[in-house]
Amino acid sequence: MKNYLVKDLMVPISEYATVPVGTSLVEAILVLERAQEVYAVNKFQHRVILVFDLDGHVVGKISQLRVLKALENVREFDNEIEDIRKFKFSEAFISHIRDQFSTKKKIIKEDVLREVAAKKVEEFMQTLTPGEYVSEDSPIDAAINKLVAGAHTSLLVTRNTEIVGIIRITDVFAALFHEISSLEEGHPGYPLSPPGFKVSDMP
Amino acid sequence: MNELSKLFNRIVQRVNINLRELNFDVSPYAVELIPLDQMSKFYALYGITPDHPLDLHFDHSALAGSYFLGKSRVRNSILYKSDIRGDELKRKGCDVNFGKFVLTLTKDEIIDIEDSVLIKTLVHNYSHDPETPEKFFIKDTLAMDYVNIHGSPSEGCFLGPFATVDLTTMCDSIIGAYSYVQAGEISHLKVDPGTIWVNSHNNFNFFYKYPADVLEQYVSLSPDKVPWGILIDFIEERKREFQRVFDFVNLEAIDTIPKTASLDRYAVVLPVVNIADNVLVAQRAYIENSNLGKGANAQENCFIINSTLEGYNVTAHGAKIIEADLKPNVFVGFNSFLFGKKESRLTINAGCVIMPHTIIDIDAPLEIPAEHLVWGLVRNKEELAENSISLKKMSEISSFFSQGKMCFEGNGAMFVKAFKERIHHILHANGAFYENFENAGHAQKNQRLSLNTIQPFQFGINEGMYPNIRIQP
Repeated sequence: MKNYLVKDLMVPISEYATVPVGTSLVEAILVLERAQEVYAVNKFQHRVILVFDLDGHVVGKISQLRVLKALENVREFDNEIEDIRKFKFSEAFISHIRDQFSTKKKIIKEDVLREVAAKKVEEFMQTLTPGEYVSEDSPIDAAINKLVAGAHTSLLVTRNTEIVGIIRITDVFAALFHEISSLEEGHPGYPLSPPGFKVSDMP
Repeated sequence: MNELSKLFNRIVQRVNINLRELNFDVSPYAVELIPLDQMSKFYALYGITPDHPLDLHFDHSALAGSYFLGKSRVRNSILYKSDIRGDELKRKGCDVNFGKFVLTLTKDEIIDIEDSVLIKTLVHNYSHDPETPEKFFIKDTLAMDYVNIHGSPSEGCFLGPFATVDLTTMCDSIIGAYSYVQAGEISHLKVDPGTIWVNSHNNFNFFYKYPADVLEQYVSLSPDKVPWGILIDFIEERKREFQRVFDFVNLEAIDTIPKTASLDRYAVVLPVVNIADNVLVAQRAYIENSNLGKGANAQENCFIINSTLEGYNVTAHGAKIIEADLKPNVFVGFNSFLFGKKESRLTINAGCVIMPHTIIDIDAPLEIPAEHLVWGLVRNKEELAENSISLKKMSEISSFFSQGKMCFEGNGAMFVKAFKERIHHILHANGAFYENFENAGHAQKNQRLSLNTIQPFQFGINEGMYPNIRIQP
């Protein structure tokens, strides 16, 4: 099996859509759109926008989920639901209340969309946690561990203190899948125990 | 710095240490909380009665204007015009049931207040904490004006003005102004102002929260200021009447009170008031031009003005009823504010339950149908429709229900039953059902109560503090 390193699978940072803090959501989406056009023939599809601070450091990222969340946050009931959650209501009840509120207050309305479009990226970006960085020289196992532990869809790849790329869950999965498939093709089967071997024979 | 200031600062620090995880600093609120120079101007008093154990222990504390009944101990604390009512504490030999456990008490329960500041606070009932059945403790706690600590042991808590914690053990928590919490046990919880929360584990869960901007008109709180708002103004406007009953040692008795009823010597009664059999009017209650029918009660800090209570009505601690007509068996919960007007009277029909901390403030006549549950803010018919439900409909809820800002999960029938049983218990405990020398309660027993006063140091380093005293039979 090939011993992949993180740098073998990462996407270089230069190929990523980036915006500085202070950018509005609508501008960020336009940047993403342009990036997707440029890299349309490339091997990957942009799904995340990175946010830089004034010193050029990555301070957050915006995924499609964060954009949807920004839409939800415009509705005042989000705070109410968070309030209710503190007071021992079941998840089933919270879900019931959310459905009720959603019915009353639609998201897809011009005024809501306008309000969200004007929001600054730092208002809804996902700030990065220590578990979202991995060194480019780390084995891929380390990346898998961090992706699973933090339920992340991507990690930032570092070279010393510099961020040089992104490793995405789709690329890791593709590499793994490739390895598993090659096992099937190259061998009659997975390794078996020798004939007559019993558990009691184990040291 | 005198002893009182040192004690006050020490308590504030202790409360802050307990609330550090919630990142809450009580210091700014405490600055204006009590006029320390007033602490030497009011005497404290305690009741003597054959019906309750007499064992009072005051140690390094200030007690200005406070009242004590039953077994209590106060250490390193400041109490200002607070009522420590130990007439429902558990007694030696009684069995305490909790789930599958039964515990027989080996001593009388005590209210134990330590390192705390209580301002115009009512402490009543008994500890519902199965882990401390013999001690109703209040420790490292700061309670602001008109708080009710009802059967709720407390450690490391801050309670905003008009907050009520009922039958709940609380630890390191903040209870916002005008919030009502009845939840068994809470810990490290910050409850926003105007939250009404009644939770019975695995049975039901009721939640309502006042809109902040509206609540602010009634009770407001900010650092470096004493609380203000309509509720505070309402009480302040009637403060002078209380001065009179506390200034005189002997007041003329009102001879129209039936022998089965009890009118506390420290209640304000202004003409014309009619009191029927088995009525209880507690200390610091204010009754003006009203009729209290058989078995009705007005508990501490209640105001009943230009109103009629037809009978078996509970007016819980701090409730206010103005220009209203209440038919029989109406329950008005803690700190509720029923604010009818002369030309816009409020009528509440029989069997209604007005939830604790309900505000009804109307400028047109309003009638609440019989057997309804009412909560939250009601200023007109539309808000009544949003914030009420018939008890029958409530009883039919078996899973989820929400209406307006109210959320309910669980068994509605159990919720209604719990309220009805508690109302019956309150009426019974207060002696509403007294007949032929049976079912005596507070209304009858309080007639065998006499009061003594104790005085603080008037001068010197200990000015405002009380001498260490142990009072026993």
